[in-house]
Amino acid sequence: MKRRLFGQSLSALTTALCLAVGLISLPAAADTKLRVFSGGQNQRPDLMRKLFDSYQAKNPGVTIDIETGGATSELQRQYLSTVLNAKDTAIDIYMIDIVNPAQYFNAGWLEPLDSYVGGAQALKPYLPVYSQANLVNGKVAAMPAFADAMFMYYRKDLLEKHGIKEPKTWDELAASAKKVLDAEKNPNLQGLSIQGAPIEGAVCTFLLPYWSQGKQFNDAAGKLTLDKDTAVKGLDMWLKMVDSGVMKKNIAEVTTPITVNEFKAGQVVFAINWGFAWDVFKDAADSQVKGKVGVMPLPAMAGGKSATCVGGWQWAVSAFSKNKQAAADLVKFMSTTDASKYLAVEGSLLPVFQSVYNDADVLKQAPWFKDAANVIIAGQARPISSQYGQVSDVVRTNTNAALARTKTPAEAVADIDSRLTRVMR
Amino acid sequence: MKSWRDPSEKTLALLLLAPAFFLIALIVIYPVGKLIYTSLFDMQLSGGARALEFVGLRNFEDALKDKEFWHATRNTLLITAITVPGALVVGLGLALLANWPFRYKWVVRLSLLLPWALPLSFCGLIFAWFFHTDYGIVNDVLRLLGAPEPTMWLLNPSWAMAAICLTIIWKTSSFMALILLAGLQMIPRSLYEAAQVDGATRWQQFWQVTLPLLVPSIVVALIFRTLTALQTFDIPYTMTKGGPGSSTETLAMLIHKTTIDYLDLGYGSALAVFMFLMSMLVTAVYLRQIGKQA
Repeated sequence: MKRRLFGQSLSALTTALCLAVGLISLPAAADTKLRVFSGGQNQRPDLMRKLFDSYQAKNPGVTIDIETGGATSELQRQYLSTVLNAKDTAIDIYMIDIVNPAQYFNAGWLEPLDSYVGGAQALKPYLPVYSQANLVNGKVAAMPAFADAMFMYYRKDLLEKHGIKEPKTWDELAASAKKVLDAEKNPNLQGLSIQGAPIEGAVCTFLLPYWSQGKQFNDAAGKLTLDKDTAVKGLDMWLKMVDSGVMKKNIAEVTTPITVNEFKAGQVVFAINWGFAWDVFKDAADSQVKGKVGVMPLPAMAGGKSATCVGGWQWAVSAFSKNKQAAADLVKFMSTTDASKYLAVEGSLLPVFQSVYNDADVLKQAPWFKDAANVIIAGQARPISSQYGQVSDVVRTNTNAALARTKTPAEAVADIDSRLTRVMR
Repeated sequence: MKSWRDPSEKTLALLLLAPAFFLIALIVIYPVGKLIYTSLFDMQLSGGARALEFVGLRNFEDALKDKEFWHATRNTLLITAITVPGALVVGLGLALLANWPFRYKWVVRLSLLLPWALPLSFCGLIFAWFFHTDYGIVNDVLRLLGAPEPTMWLLNPSWAMAAICLTIIWKTSSFMALILLAGLQMIPRSLYEAAQVDGATRWQQFWQVTLPLLVPSIVVALIFRTLTALQTFDIPYTMTKGGPGSSTETLAMLIHKTTIDYLDLGYGSALAVFMFLMSMLVTAVYLRQIGKQA
């Protein structure tokens, strides 16, 4: 009796399984599902979703799932390192920060795109910084999505009120900020906000004054060329601004969102931040500084030349994707001038093509884009290294220690030098 | 079919043990074995070459010469030495309170569960805000009390370490208390009645009756607490990211950084083997202690 019951249920199960398999496999033949890791909120997944929707409309049979990740570049890097290290096939396309193509490509995680996009010349139309960062060992590792760089935001209204011109050097900026602070007598007002917490932005905090003295952090081959005295001078400059009250004492606690929020709340005269912040200051419902914000290139050290830290995001196809052709097609679509223009108009995301900067629709949204292309072209990429994770960690940790005054600038720079000499050679 | 109904005892024992053994092999022996295996190789995913080169014990030698390893180990041991006794004392107090026969003890018992139910990283983020220089409640209270300057808690290595330890004690005391409460409830009431008849004060009852009978529970609680303390990661990671600089970095954070950020799996595995050995050592010491008790 028991045995017969077992036999019956077995055959019923088999029938059910066959049916289920049939149901699953029927539509799979026509459908391509692509899963895209689309960065964190600052990379505007909302706008990417709209672009994906229009791609889906044009390409029936393709469905695109979107996945968002950590708010900061280093959180995303940790997540992606885990997923890619596990050779995960679930995600087909990754949006990655400009510092990552070299590391990921060398680890064998990214599909070379040469055969899909038509070789290395496909990168030619982009701004030089991006065509360089995405070409790893002569192969196309990723395609540029949108640009970014650090800019100096300032309160146009306060500078006009006190008759101050856009400062060109850090000393001028410190003096200008001091003048505004002394006149305004607002205890909640800060002169300058930078990122001193041990986050990716602190790498730029270290590099900005260093580069603006005309020195290089690394040579073309990626070897460390750190000039210690210059680097110490840069860190000293920040600490002097803390001592004179231009920057707040707990600057080592400040992250990118804190700078954005405090500037947005009208508590900051000058703020260093990424290009995406413009959209927040201009449009956010709770912005207290609408219509009062100016943007300018970063100041230089006295006698030096303005330099900015270039960021920006790229689309890469996973080496473990099962739909590489379809994924590469989507990446091509997302790295066109049309996509770049859409992101610029809708989200003030900086274009990766020179031509889009002069587009009338774009300039209507963000007039300061006219000069932004030059800033990005003149800007410097953070060291491109297959060991970037370590480079970034050493620089940001020591910068944070110097700003928190647990190390002197000289000690911090010496530690950076001794650690990275081994890594960047 | 027959052998199923009437197996020899030995076969039955083996059959019954097989699933458990298989499970342990899958979730303990295989990963630990793989970890030790990886630690003997130079395995740097971002090295470019991607070569898997056998280097014997070199990763371990490197670790012993690595200032960062010793610094992180020192921090880990410091956190363990402070938070384990700290959580034991606070947890014992909470357990005694929850065991006190008064009407609203369910309030105490419920609130005991809350910190325990909170994910570690949430807890770290919440306390990071408490101690934030500008927005934190700690500085706000101090300001109301008349402190002239806000203290930068998380930017000073000693204060940051103190804040981390305080958070860990807050978070883990309830776990201690739950285990100790179970132990307290197993002590028969008659012992206290007998002690009262003999004229023992409450204080004497605690030292002579409660504490000795609670020792097995305390040892169990200490084993778990010490092991998790040696693996401390979430709270310092979310509160300070190891900062300022790397002054509050723990061994688990260093392992995470080496493997996930630096993609140096060989060296990271060697560090993890050291942590594994530390945990084994602690467990062995405690288990010996239990053996002596029994």
